[in-house]
Amino acid sequence: MMSSFLSKLRVLLAKRESVYGINRRNVELVYAHNQRGDYPTADDKDLCKRMLAECGVPIPRTLHVCANLYEAHLAVDSLDVYDDFVIKPANSSGGNGIIVIKRRNPNGTWEGSGGKSYTKKALQRHIANIVFGAFSNDEADKAIIEERVNFHPILQELSGGGGDLRVLVLKGNPFQAMLRLPTTASGGRANLHQGAIGVAVDIDNGKTGQAQISGRNLKIHPDTGNQLSGIQLPHWERVLETAKAAAAAMPLGYLGVDILMEATRGPLVVEVNARPGLEIQNVNNCGIGSAMEKGIRVATT
Amino acid sequence: MTMDRAVPEPPVASRRDLDLGYRLTLAFFVIAPTVLVAYKLLVNDYSLSKILPRRDFSVTLTMNLDGHDGRANVETFVPRSDENQVIAETRSNDVANMQVRTESAGANRISVWSGASVPDETQIVYSFRVLPTGRSYRIDPELQVPDRYPSALSSYLIGSEAIQVDSPEVLQTLRQIGADEGTLLHRIQKIYNLTSGFPIRPFKGMTDALTALRLGEASCNGKSRLFVALARATGIPARLVGGLIMTSGSKRISHQWVEAYVAGHWVPFGPTNGHFAKVPERYLVLYRGDESLFRHSSDINFDYSYNISSKMVPAPEARTAFGAFNLWALFDRLEMPFGLLQTILMLPVGALIVVFFRNVIGMPTYGTFLPALIAAAAKGTGLGWGMLSVILIIGAVSIARWLMQRLHLLHSPSLAILLTAVVASMLLSSLAAEQMGLSQLARVSFFPIAVMAIAAERFYLSLAERGVRDAITQLTGTLVVVAACFVVMNSLALQILVSGFPEVMAYVVAANLYLGRWIGLRVSEYLRFRGLLGTEVEA
Repeated sequence: MMSSFLSKLRVLLAKRESVYGINRRNVELVYAHNQRGDYPTADDKDLCKRMLAECGVPIPRTLHVCANLYEAHLAVDSLDVYDDFVIKPANSSGGNGIIVIKRRNPNGTWEGSGGKSYTKKALQRHIANIVFGAFSNDEADKAIIEERVNFHPILQELSGGGGDLRVLVLKGNPFQAMLRLPTTASGGRANLHQGAIGVAVDIDNGKTGQAQISGRNLKIHPDTGNQLSGIQLPHWERVLETAKAAAAAMPLGYLGVDILMEATRGPLVVEVNARPGLEIQNVNNCGIGSAMEKGIRVATT
Repeated sequence: MTMDRAVPEPPVASRRDLDLGYRLTLAFFVIAPTVLVAYKLLVNDYSLSKILPRRDFSVTLTMNLDGHDGRANVETFVPRSDENQVIAETRSNDVANMQVRTESAGANRISVWSGASVPDETQIVYSFRVLPTGRSYRIDPELQVPDRYPSALSSYLIGSEAIQVDSPEVLQTLRQIGADEGTLLHRIQKIYNLTSGFPIRPFKGMTDALTALRLGEASCNGKSRLFVALARATGIPARLVGGLIMTSGSKRISHQWVEAYVAGHWVPFGPTNGHFAKVPERYLVLYRGDESLFRHSSDINFDYSYNISSKMVPAPEARTAFGAFNLWALFDRLEMPFGLLQTILMLPVGALIVVFFRNVIGMPTYGTFLPALIAAAAKGTGLGWGMLSVILIIGAVSIARWLMQRLHLLHSPSLAILLTAVVASMLLSSLAAEQMGLSQLARVSFFPIAVMAIAAERFYLSLAERGVRDAITQLTGTLVVVAACFVVMNSLALQILVSGFPEVMAYVVAANLYLGRWIGLRVSEYLRFRGLLGTEVEA
């Protein structure tokens, strides 16, 4: 009785070692491998994309960057030639301030992914708001206009929309990954705390495993009714290579690389995160410590 | 998979030299204050009792009377300074149509208010501050009762109407309890044992010595009179002492105890509350002798109450005990109150509490300093009213934000409007609370505006950025941590320690250094990752 309790306790203590809390993530991973001065580079999606592009890492094409209020009309003029695109703030978190335009209406206005239509003037005001800092606490910001990625059919079928891959990389080694799928409940956003679905991904072969929404397990996507586990994600070796290349391009030793799967071009890096969150452990039902340890075993056998 | 995935080395091992620096720093912040405190205590003979703050009482006597526009007279004893109590800031209000004079009457001081045409509903307010010292004596067991005393003491040996020294019953009792012979200590101990052993009967009015003896039970004045009668009968000069037990609040009850003349000292005894040759510091002497506390004209509906409050102030010895690092002297020169020094010194401790709640328990709060600052601000109102004030102000901010939401204002101007809402809600709650007679809540305006403005801004930001649920979670966390900070920051023991040994703040730094590298799971994370921790145990 006693010894079984003790052995259970020993297991708990050992397993506790593998689960990273915020304190341990910060001390052992973030502070140990990332210089604080480099965070702004990682946080600024425009700077980040430039650095990635310089190193030849595939990224969604930037159509325009607007950094000054008086250029907002130029920015919106440049959109005349495009039917679909994404407008987003360079510095914002949680998907705030992002507008996805999916097609041009016959009357010249654009239709957003939520079905709302936007006039040229409305888009100009949104760009001005971004530059003014409406989504970054009054800090002057840049508005990025980039191509709307045409998602790989496997992902389109899975979620009805897009979804992105988060790959954790330590010192150039990808060791844990998950797929984040938006739902109508999450308002099209791929953030777990906003109600997106997190799906475990086997780092070795790119097969999906268990799925969670707001901490609860689920089997099928609530919007499409499609099975979430057991799916082979496309181009997995290229995903890992892309994550490595992105990590090498950035001055960060520990980072989360966010990757979109484009229909023909394959993996594209949308952004990197110098302080990636910890929910990936729950999604994969595997602590970051275990994931790194498993990496060591794979490397030595 | 043939992919080359060489993996992460253990991260901390690569920073061995950094760790040495860390350990040395931590060791310094533990050893340095320990050495300083030990040096003060051992080498400088720095005793803790010297730096213990003293309690400073403020007493307000309020007397109400209806003069019916005629002649009225009110007299009461007022305390005087002696070696055991320092009386300061004596104040008396201006009473319409009454004059006040204070005169000596033997060892006592009497204040007399009198007037020829005193209106109804006249109120007399007399206030003073007391810095008392407790008294405690040791009586030499060999000491004999002297055969004769100086003539000045003769009045303390003879009987009176209520102190029946010569009564046969008193003399018989003296023999029965064995207090008629032996050393002075023996006799007084027997008398004390008899009187303090009587059950206390808390009735109002006066009991004389003989009645107390016959009943075998008495109130404080009966016990004291019997004590005095027995002491006098056995040849020890004794007298009644009247005064107040200074406990916070409002009271109408005065107290009586006794003093016996032992080897040149008037030694106090409290037979009612079990004080032998000592009385606590909160015993305020108003008069000595068998007197009544108030005398007044008849038919004036006389009523009175004492209101007593207290606060801690540094002992006078402590002000000179600090040498080069004399914080109290600095505060004296700047004319800042001691309470402010205490608050400032306790802020780092409060911040440490917040760090503990955030990093070890995982409770979300607004900022690191804010809960400590709110706790410090709540000192003036008390914890409950302080929290209610915070909730009121946050409520006002939320309403203001809700009203402003449609106006699409820029960040800074909307914050300026919120500050106005904070100020307005503080003043309005003060007004409303005063109307409702909630004097504690009325003090919400004592909350530093800056602290409340920061609290409001943080709440606004979290409402805007993370939504209502997160904002309320954070608010709840903040209030819990405020309560914890309040309890710790107002702990008298800690305040004394930190004010007496400011170097112990280095321990706070040490604790933060330790927590700064503490990588354990937060309590909240055990909950968050319970699935991970739990299933693996079962497996």
